[in-house]
Amino acid sequence: MPAECVVIGLSHRTAPVELRERLAVEGDLIALELRRIVEAAQLQECVLISTCNRVEVVAVSQNPTATFEAVASHLNGRLTPDRVEPYLYRLRGERATRHLFRVASGLEAMVLGEPQILGQVKEAYGYARALGTVGSLLSRCFERAFTVAKRVRTETDIAAGQVSVSSIACQLAEKIFGELQDRRVLLVGAGEMSELAAGTMKAHGARLYIVNRNTEHAEKLAQKFDGISRPFESLPDEIREADVVISSTASPGFVVSYNLMQNVIKERKRRPLFFIDIAVPRDVDPRVDSLDNVFLYNIDDLDKVAASNLELRKREIQAAEAIVDEAVIQFEKWRNTLELTPTIVALKAYVSAIVLEEKRKTFSRLSLLNADDQKKLDAMCDAIVNKLLHIPFSQLKRSGANGDEAQLIEATQRLFQLAIGDAFDDRTKPTEAEELAAKREKGIDDG
Amino acid sequence: MIFLVFILTIVLYAVAAIAFFFRLLGRSQTLERLAFGSLGLAVVANIVFVVCDYFANDNLLMSHINGTLATASMLISLGYLLQMRRHRLPVLGTFVVPIALLFLLGAGLPSQGHRIPEGIGSALIKLHIIFSTLGVVLFTLAFAAAVAYLIQETLLRSRQISGVFQRLPALDLLDTAGFRFVTVGFPLFTIGIILGSITSLRIGAGLFNFSASQGFALLAWLCFAFILLTRAIAGWRGRRAALGTVMGFLCAVATLLGYLLRNAGGW
Repeated sequence: MPAECVVIGLSHRTAPVELRERLAVEGDLIALELRRIVEAAQLQECVLISTCNRVEVVAVSQNPTATFEAVASHLNGRLTPDRVEPYLYRLRGERATRHLFRVASGLEAMVLGEPQILGQVKEAYGYARALGTVGSLLSRCFERAFTVAKRVRTETDIAAGQVSVSSIACQLAEKIFGELQDRRVLLVGAGEMSELAAGTMKAHGARLYIVNRNTEHAEKLAQKFDGISRPFESLPDEIREADVVISSTASPGFVVSYNLMQNVIKERKRRPLFFIDIAVPRDVDPRVDSLDNVFLYNIDDLDKVAASNLELRKREIQAAEAIVDEAVIQFEKWRNTLELTPTIVALKAYVSAIVLEEKRKTFSRLSLLNADDQKKLDAMCDAIVNKLLHIPFSQLKRSGANGDEAQLIEATQRLFQLAIGDAFDDRTKPTEAEELAAKREKGIDDG
Repeated sequence: MIFLVFILTIVLYAVAAIAFFFRLLGRSQTLERLAFGSLGLAVVANIVFVVCDYFANDNLLMSHINGTLATASMLISLGYLLQMRRHRLPVLGTFVVPIALLFLLGAGLPSQGHRIPEGIGSALIKLHIIFSTLGVVLFTLAFAAAVAYLIQETLLRSRQISGVFQRLPALDLLDTAGFRFVTVGFPLFTIGIILGSITSLRIGAGLFNFSASQGFALLAWLCFAFILLTRAIAGWRGRRAALGTVMGFLCAVATLLGYLLRNAGGW
């Protein structure tokens, strides 16, 4: 039975988070878990993708049913007394390949087009390579998945526009100031939302300043993001110096009034200022948005942008699927040739060995042959072999498109008694194949 | 021959303008390659046209308004390609290339053959034309940055932050680029205006006895002077500076249009 790609696992679509978090592993534990799975399921090629949203085993198997059972049994062992079966999906062949390509491209992600998953798949592949559980088939499959993911990201809008509030805030700030490196970001309030936004801004190189009524919270946040905390009373001064202000206090009224900003903007010499007001009720007087070079986005604006970006991504699914389809077809075509190759090599070796042996016998009886005549006879023999095998090889190569590939391969192997063993797994070893055929030839002679 | 080169240049500019426009609307890299490819060829064709025009007009560069427009068109495109090295704002092509095309089309309008008079002041007039043209070229680039700024700011304020918004650069980059173009263009334009005024005095036309075209030139100069002054004193930037740049550029274009129509017999 030819080896094929298989995928067995569960994701946010099939399993609740309570279950996923019990199976998911991180960092070096991925390698440890991968080793256990490889041993439990007796796999040669295997990659474990483990994120908070999915746990998947991608493997190469000649007996997918047995592999599925072994992996499920291993996962059950980790979930005892719960059972994993109701949440598992099992895919093989083309469906498995397609699934992997879709995962890498972000088409299977919880947030459509999310780029993070590609990095996680690459990391999983890296662990498997380090452990030596990646062979020619999985290697090709994953490399192709990375190429597909790159094409999907560059040729479609599937990853265009951010869909999380903090990322959108950051992206908008970049559209005002260019790079955020060394830009001054002021956090007014130390809530969870502003913490998220602060983290994203910090990752882009911004300098963080925090003002909060509760100084202790401000200090804590400042420590966390390597920022500077300032007393709440210095708010006007801090706004005057800031480029971006993220406000998320629990104040019932406006913390930043229109009048305050009218004065501040003059003192700032009209340098652009971006307000992100994620507080409910709002912290910043909406009239501030009408001031020159002052831009104000509140939580509703950011939510609307997120929804619209997500809609835009959804419209790109079809284009992304087309890229995935094309890649799956190409990969399957390549895989088919991989299955054909050992048979073709063995057949060629078998026939060549017979001709070689017959040539040797004949030449030993013809003592008057000179070197030139021998060359001519050699060429004739080669031509006979090539012409004889031309049609069978063409038919075998065409069988992939006709859908009767497996039958033809099997028939060829039975007709000529070709033993396709480990020696043929590596296509670069035709010499061993020739030896095998030569031995068979010797056996026939002896008989 | 000259006519064929002229038509070819027009076609290449038109292709580049269309490609730049659709590149702004879509994300095709092929369109960007087409835009830059056709613009590069258009610049070469424009140079050939200007050289042919030079020999066809008694070896006088920009000896008439049509020739000046053809040269300005070439310099605008070259200026745009040069700014790519420093500012890397390919999107400006969407606004710059149509202006280069319009200038070249203006160069193709019929001419009554008004030429720079030889003798007294001809050297001054030539210098006046050269400096003024260089000023206008830089104002064109500033205008393109200003238009891009105004579009981007409008999109940001109206919360339409997909599509064109994503392809336009950051407001700060556009504002800085526009300011730099005005800063370099203004002294050149000022020298042009001063030389023009001296020439007027020397040929006895009087300093305050100027035509509508000269009036628009003065308005353009005032606009750009105002932009630079208010930026230095009160920090005016962004939308106000962009609007001032657009106004100043339109006045500069009105100046050229005045000369063009007069030369074509319209005025």
